Amino acid sequence: MSRLEALHDERAGGPPPTRRSVMTWVAAGAFGTCAAVMAAFNLIFLKPRVTTGEASKIRVGKPENFSSGSVVELTDAKVVVRRDGDRFSAVSTVCTHLGCTVKRTDVGFECPCHGSVYDAMGGVLGGPAPKPLPWFRITLTPTGELEVDKQAVVPTGTHLEVAS
Amino acid sequence: MTIERPVLPPDPGEDVPGFKETLLGMPRRVYRSIFRSRPVPRTELERSQAVADNFFFHIHSAKVRERSLKWKTTFGLGLLTMNVFLVLCVTGILLMFYYVPSPEEAYKRMLDLQGAVFFGRFLRNVHRWAAEAMVVLAILHMVRVFLTGSHKRPREFNWVVGVRLLLLTLFMSFTGYLLPWDQLAYWAVTVGTAIARYAPLVGDEIRYVLLGGNEVGAEALLRFYVLHVAVLPFAMLVLIGLHFWRVRKDGGLARPATPEGKPERTPLAPAELPAFDRFPATPAKTYGLMAVVPLRTPQTGGDVEKQVPSWPSALARELLLMTITLLLLSVAAILWDAPLEGIADPSHPPNPAKAPWYFLGLQEMVSYDAFWGGIGIPGLLVGLALLAPYLERRAGGEGTWFHPKRSAVNWLFLSVLATLAVLTLVGTFFRGANWAFTTPW
Repeated sequence: MSRLEALHDERAGGPPPTRRSVMTWVAAGAFGTCAAVMAAFNLIFLKPRVTTGEASKIRVGKPENFSSGSVVELTDAKVVVRRDGDRFSAVSTVCTHLGCTVKRTDVGFECPCHGSVYDAMGGVLGGPAPKPLPWFRITLTPTGELEVDKQAVVPTGTHLEVAS
Repeated sequence: MTIERPVLPPDPGEDVPGFKETLLGMPRRVYRSIFRSRPVPRTELERSQAVADNFFFHIHSAKVRERSLKWKTTFGLGLLTMNVFLVLCVTGILLMFYYVPSPEEAYKRMLDLQGAVFFGRFLRNVHRWAAEAMVVLAILHMVRVFLTGSHKRPREFNWVVGVRLLLLTLFMSFTGYLLPWDQLAYWAVTVGTAIARYAPLVGDEIRYVLLGGNEVGAEALLRFYVLHVAVLPFAMLVLIGLHFWRVRKDGGLARPATPEGKPERTPLAPAELPAFDRFPATPAKTYGLMAVVPLRTPQTGGDVEKQVPSWPSALARELLLMTITLLLLSVAAILWDAPLEGIADPSHPPNPAKAPWYFLGLQEMVSYDAFWGGIGIPGLLVGLALLAPYLERRAGGEGTWFHPKRSAVNWLFLSVLATLAVLTLVGTFFRGANWAFTTPW
C-alpha cells in the first residue's frame, strides 16, 4: 500500500474490516470476557458466605433469669445484656476505635487499649472513639428465650419489652 | 581468500577412543557437561564467560563500573535486603515443617519450637529478626535511591516496582505477625486490621475478606498463613526478578552524566550527552575482543569510567555482604529471643494494644484522627511515593548524594521521613496505658 493510499484509508476511517479482523476482535472479546468473569468469581470466592466459629445470633436465656436493673456481660460474644424494668437491650463491647474489648466501669465502659470512654448507653464521653457502641436487636424466640442478633444493629435506645 | 569448511564431528564409525581413554577422560567430560567454563577463570575472556555462561551468575553483566562497587555508591543496601529475604525464605520453609495454622495448635507449636525442637529457637529468632531487618533495610535502600536521584529517568518504573516491593514487605511482615497466635500477635492484628475499617465504602468489606469473618479467628489465621507462605512470597519473587532485570536494562546503577573529577572530553563525548545514556554514545564495543587482553577497557567514547570484571570483584563483594548478613542475624538470634507472650485471649486486651512497630506511626496518627491518620495521609503518601519520579521535572543529579540541584526535593523527602520516624518513635516508646503519654525511662 502506498503512503497516499494509507492516508486515504485513514481519512476514510481505516481499512474496511476483513473477515479475519472481525474474527480476531470477536475472539479477543470472548477471551477478555471469560477472563474478567473468572477473575470476578475468584474474588467472590474469597469472600466467605458463612462465617465459621462466630455465631451472629446468641441465645442468652429466659427473661426471668435477669433481675431488674441487672447488667450481664457475655465475654465470648462481646455483648452486654441489660434489663431495666421490663425492657431488655443489648450493647456491643467492641470498641469502635480499633476493635479492643471495652471494660465495664461505674460510668459505663472504658477501652483499655487507647482510653476511649463511653457512658452506660454506649455514647462516647471521651477518647479517640469515633462512634458510640452499637446496639443489637434483641428478640424473644418461640421457646421464650432472649436472642441477640449481632448482625442487626439498631438505633441507640431500642428496647424489647417483655411483659412479666 | 579461501572459504573454510565447517568442521564436522568425526564419523562415529571411525576412531572410537579406547576403553581406558574413555574412563580416564570421564571426570573431565562430566565436568564439561555440567559447567561451561573452567572452575577458576584466568584470562579476561574466561572471567566474562564465567559470568555469562553460568545460570546463577548471568544476572550480572560481564563487567561492572568500579564506581558501582564503591561502598558510598549504594552501601550495599539493596543487596542486603535481598540477602535477608533469602534468609527469610530458608528459615521460613524450615519453620513450616513444624507449624500448624490453627488457633488450637499454633501457640503450642511455638512453645515446641522454643523448647523441644532442636535448633527451633534459633531458626525462629533468625526469622523474626530478619523480618524486622528487611523492613528497615528496604526503607534505607529507598532512602539511598532517592537521595542519589537514582529514581529519575529512565529508572522511574523501577522505583515504582520498588515501592510495591516495600508495601509487599510490610504486608508480609504483618501477616507473619499473627502466626504465633500469642497476645501480641492477636491484638496487633486486631488493631491493625481495624485501621482498614476507616477506609470509606470498602473498609469493612476489605477487613471482612482479609479476615474471612468479622473477627480475628481461625479463618483469619488460615488466610494470613496462606498469604504469608504462598501468595506474598510468590508476588515478591516475581517483582524482585523484575526489579533486578530493570536495573540492568535501565543501564546499571545511576551515575552522573560526566564522571566525577574528570573533565568532559569534547572530541568524542558530545557536551549534550544525555544524562540517561542507556546506550552510550560509544561505538559498538566487542567485549570478546577486549577481554582477550588483560588491560583496561579501550576508551572509545563518553564512557570513560573504569570497568572491572564482575568475577571476582562484584561476586567477592556480594559474598562479603552475605557473610555480614548471616553473621549479624546469627549473633542477634543468639543474643535476643523473638518475643512470645501468653496465648491469644480475645476477651482480655493488653493495655495498651499496639500494632506492629512499623504501623505505630499510623496508630499514633489514628489516635488524632481516624480517617486521615489511618487512610487519608498514608494513602496520599503511597500515591506520592509512586509518582515521585514522574513529578520531579528537572533533570540532573543522578548518582550523586545530595546533589545541589535536588536539595529542595531531598529536604522535602527527608522531612516527611523524619515526621514518620518521630510518630513511630512516639507510638512505640512514649505511649502507655490508655494510649496516654509516658516516658520509657
